[in-house]
Parts: sequence; C-alpha cells; structure tokens
Amino acid sequence: MSLNKRYKRWVQVTILIAIFIVGGFTLADNLFSDDSIPKEGSKAPEFSLPGLDDQQYQLSNYKGKIVVANFWGTYCPPCVSEMPLIQNYYEKYKDKNVQFLAINENDPLVSIKAFIRQYKLTLPVVLDKDVVRREYGVMNYPTTVFINENGKIEMIYEGEMDEPFLSSTLADMTSN
Amino acid sequence: MLHNTKCECGHQNPVGTVLCESCGKPLDDEFGTAPLEMRYDGIARRSQRENPALIDRVWRFFSSVKVAIILIFLTLCASIMGTIYPQENTFLNVDPSVYYEATYGFSGKLYYLLGLSDTYGSWWYKLLLIMIGSSLIICSLDRVLPLYRALSKQQIRKHMSFLVRQRVVYQGQLPATGITAVSFIDGLVPLLKKRGYRVHSDGTALLAEKHRFSRWGPYINHIGLIIFLLAVLMRGLPGWSMDQYTGFLEGVPTQIENTPYYLENEKFTVEYYTEEELPEEFRGQGRAVPKLFQTKAILYECTADCSSDKPDLKQVHQQNIEVNKPLKYKDLLAYQFDFRQTIQIRAVNVSLTDKMSNQTYGPFELNTITPDETYVEGPYVLTLKDYYPEFALNDKGVPFTNSKSPLAPAFIFVIQGPGLAEDGEVFIYFPRDVDKQRFSQDKLNAGIVDKIDIGVGSMQDVSISRFTSYLNIRTDRALPYIFFGGIIFMIGVIMGIYWQHRRIWIRIDDENEITIGAHTSKNWFGIRKELSVILGKAGIVVEPKQLENGVKQA
Repeated sequence: MSLNKRYKRWVQVTILIAIFIVGGFTLADNLFSDDSIPKEGSKAPEFSLPGLDDQQYQLSNYKGKIVVANFWGTYCPPCVSEMPLIQNYYEKYKDKNVQFLAINENDPLVSIKAFIRQYKLTLPVVLDKDVVRREYGVMNYPTTVFINENGKIEMIYEGEMDEPFLSSTLADMTSN
Repeated sequence: MLHNTKCECGHQNPVGTVLCESCGKPLDDEFGTAPLEMRYDGIARRSQRENPALIDRVWRFFSSVKVAIILIFLTLCASIMGTIYPQENTFLNVDPSVYYEATYGFSGKLYYLLGLSDTYGSWWYKLLLIMIGSSLIICSLDRVLPLYRALSKQQIRKHMSFLVRQRVVYQGQLPATGITAVSFIDGLVPLLKKRGYRVHSDGTALLAEKHRFSRWGPYINHIGLIIFLLAVLMRGLPGWSMDQYTGFLEGVPTQIENTPYYLENEKFTVEYYTEEELPEEFRGQGRAVPKLFQTKAILYECTADCSSDKPDLKQVHQQNIEVNKPLKYKDLLAYQFDFRQTIQIRAVNVSLTDKMSNQTYGPFELNTITPDETYVEGPYVLTLKDYYPEFALNDKGVPFTNSKSPLAPAFIFVIQGPGLAEDGEVFIYFPRDVDKQRFSQDKLNAGIVDKIDIGVGSMQDVSISRFTSYLNIRTDRALPYIFFGGIIFMIGVIMGIYWQHRRIWIRIDDENEITIGAHTSKNWFGIRKELSVILGKAGIVVEPKQLENGVKQA
C-alpha cells in the first residue's frame, strides 16, 4: 500500500511539474516576448541596417550614446523640409555623444542619392524596407525616435520638427 | 476523521469508496432501496484522501468536474467576446490603441482597454486553455486508473443489495424443478457468449460482460483533446506559426517577412458575374458580385543578396491562389485575402534614338520601383541622376515626388556619347504621354531633344501593374498535430457513444432463488430486451419492461 501511495505521489508531482513547465513557458512567452509597439520609456528594439555607404549600422553599437532615429522618405514633404534642420543638428552634435540616423523607407536608391546631393547631406542614411519601421510601430512620416544612453526610448515625435523643439529636446537629453 | 473503510466481505476500500470494490455492497447508504449510483462503479477517485497536502489540494481542484465545467464556460464566454469586434491581427497598418475608439466609439475603447482586441493571443486566454488542459489530464487520471483497477478485478458474486439496487433487476425461482443451480448457470453461459458476452462463473454465480472498452472512450477522447491543446500551445514556439497580411503588386517579387521566400503576383484576376448569371433579386441593381479572385503566384527562394534590391531568386513553386484555395509550399500557406486596383507603370522597355544618324539603340528596361543607375547602349552611357516616382513641382519650381508609387514617373538622365557634351547632357524622360505634355518634356530637354530621343515603340513595351493582391501568409506547423488530436478525439467519442458497456450479474441462493442485476453505460431499453431474450431461451419468461427496477413482476 505504501509503495502504491509513493508511486501515486510520484505521478502527481510529475504531472503537475509538466503542466507547470508547459504552462509557465507558454505564459512567459506570451507576457515577455513583447511584440507590442514600443512606447516612450520602453527599450528601443535592436536593429541592424545597411547604410548608403555600405556600412552596417547597429543600434546596440551606440550604447552610451544618444541616438536620434528619423524615419523618412523623399516622397514625404515634411520629411524633406525638416531634413536641413536635422543635418544642421547632426553637425552641431557630432562630437557631443549624439548619433543621428536617417532611416529611409523604400525609396529607390537613385532618388536617395539625388536627394543627398541636392541637400548636401552628410549624416548617415540607412535603408529600411518596412522591417524596422513596423517594429517601431511607425505609422506616419516623419517620425523621430529619441533613444537615450541606456537604449531606452526617451521620446517619439511624429511630424515635422522645428528648431526650438529639436534644440530643447537634445539639450535636455545631453544635460542628464 | 478516520473512516472504517473495510467492507464486510473483508476488502479494504480506499477512502471515498461508495460501493465496495470487491462485492459491490453500498458502503454509505447501506439500507437504502433506490437504484445505486453506478458512476465509475462507485470507486474512490484518487484525490479523495485523508489529510490532503497542498499538492493534493491543487490536484483535487483540477480533478473536479465542476471546476472543469466552469473553466469551459469561461473560455466559451471569452471566445464569444473575441468575436464582437475584429481582432488586432486582422489589420494591416493600424494602431489599435486609436483604431477601436475611432471606429466603435466608447465600446471600442473599452474593448481595447479590456484586452479583448487580442483575445486569443492574451495571457489570460492562454491561462484558461492551460487550466482546461490540466483539468482534462487530472480529471481523467483521477478516474481512469481506479476504474481500470476496479473493472479488471471484479468479483463474480456480488452483494445482494448491490444486485437488487441495479436499474435492471430480476428475482425469481429456477424455471423447472429438478434443474440444479449449477446446471442453470452452465446453461446460460453459451446463450450469453452467443450475444458477445465474456462470461465468468463460479458455480452458482455468474458475471457476463461485454464492450468494456467503450468505458475508455471518454478518456481516449480526452487524450485527443490534450494533444489538440498542446498543439495549439506549440504555435507559440518560434517558427511554428506565422499569420501576416502582405500586399503583392503585380509583377514585383516581394519578400515574405521573416522568411527566405519571395512571392510574385504574376497576374491578378477579378471576375464579376454577368447580369444574366445573377439571381433574379440581384439583377438591375448595378451590383458587382465577384465570381473569382485569382492571384497567379510564383514563389521564389532567395539564395543570396536577400533583403537587397536585387536578391538572387530561385523559383520553387507556382500556383494559382483563389479564395479557399491557398498556395501550399512546405509549411507555407498563402490565402487570397483582398485586392486593390493600383494601376501604375512597373517598367518600360525604351529605346534610345540618335536623331542625327537615325540609329536606334536598345531596347533597355527602366524599372519604376528599383531603377538601375547606369545603362550602356551602343556608344551612349546613360546615368540616372535622379528619379521621381510621382513627379511634381513645388511652388518654387523644385521637383519632388508626391508618393512612392510610380504614378507619374520621371527619369532624369545624364547622357554621354557622340555629339554630346563631354560631361554629358541632361535628358528628362516621362514614360507617360500625359506627363510629357503636362511638364513639357521637350522644353525641359531643349538642346538635347534635337539630337537624342528616348521612347517606347508601342504599348507592348510598357508593363503595367493593375492590381495589388493582398495575401494572408500563414505557417502552421502545429496543424498535423491538431488533426491528429482531432482524430484521436473522434475515435474516443465513437468508442464511448456507439458501444455500451453491459454487465449482467446472476447469483442463485438456496439452490432456487435467482437474483439478476444488470448495468449498462447507456441504452437501458436495449439491455432489458437482451436480458429478456436470454432468459426466455433459458426458460424464464419475462417482459423487458418488467426487468426495470420498481416495476412489478407478473
């Protein structure tokens, strides 16, 4: 009888552990695999995109730096009109621990190159095909994502930025 | 509390036993007369034990059928809630936090805030499924093992009160004087065997039993359900499940996200019913009722340079996709979901004409989505300096593109070659005649236009994408397991529903007094009739109806 009892307990414990593992794994996967759209304050999803200069630009390489990621396209008039401002601030903050990345969405290479020539851009332009855009939940152009030194999203700004906004945001972020 | 669980027949029963496992004597309600509750043969469930520890309490919680029913009911309610508004995953490019409120107002906002917009992917829905699964396993084990034990060592001679409190009962005398109890029993054996019973007898008592396996039906169907549930949960494993919606422009191989596959919508067809084909009530209303949506699809696998503009593609599959006829390739499924008319030039096959010598070079292809940068045709080198998919001029006269769709493409070349300036001369080319007129191509090209022309021979040289076909791309590696679980489930259901576990117990006391009790898992009418036929052949005439417990015997 006691042998039988011990056997039963063994079966119970095994089954409960199995349920716990399967259930725990499923729930943990559900709760922690955060495929929801990142918000201000959440960790910036990692990405690695090819640049126009054939270099690979990886977000995690800029840990300790502030990253300003601007999602744009030549087909988006406000993107076009804010680009000189971004270029200007790229120059200004180049040596101040701020990395600008102009993430182009789906433009033909020729058009991007012509645009860069036309606006005399020197900031790094990287090429995305809706992959990083979707990960960041960007719905409208332009959208600028400010990522702090710890890789957390400090601010997401939709629409054309003006100088006071960009200047104060960067001043705030660099002073912290 | 300590129960004395030893039966008068000497058998030690576990706590919670209702009918003695050995002789069948009712232990709780010894002096009652109502028909016995024969569920699980009156055995104790495993979880019914004294001094339960925590693990026993958890076990007992899940072993309760009441809990199982509540869980199933909750899951049912949740599943219903999930069908009120479209779920998040059915949208292509929508921010759910805004969409629900904007579309459905306050109830939409509430729906989103309660997490019902992703009901089937939510943690609490999965928790419900896991709990149902646990309940299935534990409920089954708690009952099937003791039941198996009880059924595999049944005593032939049952307690008198066990027999007379069955729902099918007969009591009477041996049919003829001179026949002994043993010979009567022996005479019954072949009659029962002929009817498919397995018969065990010990002289003056008999147990006949058939189709015991039907008792395992519910447990087998539970195993099927557990396989089914596990398969559903396995969809959460990476690579096991994918469900996305992608638009495919005609003639442009487009990558299926997170896979090495590219799919090309070679040609999309939509056909409508003609007026004559429509039923009476639809006619004359100008209704367009679609007859066919078809995507002629080619599937490629990327072998190198994936995610670049010019990946190396190898065709692996070709199929026409229609509604409910998805493309199938390995684990990949592509269902027709939607379409949109998106008329645009995909490519033009142009030729370059040297107007002085009337020589024509080419044709060469200008792609409007990913145009190449240089073209060498005869002695001419064309460098594409700029490209605008939808050319327009702003108020300062600066060109820009209105969108990324090639609705009014403009190619700006610098052409080098004989008769042209050494650094090359600019030539602006609009493939569409409307744009040529609107932006006065010849004026823009003043100077070079007398020497060079770029153009197409005929409409044959213009490739047009008329439609974008939206496909639902799916992978479901769990599907075979889901089917397997479903088949096991059906086998269990059929076992439990089609066959009945019938048992007949007979004991003869004092060489003359026959007592018969019979039990079936269902179809009581059937067992009464069967018993009446068998008894009739053995010389006891009794109407099936009289065998019912409580009905007076004639």
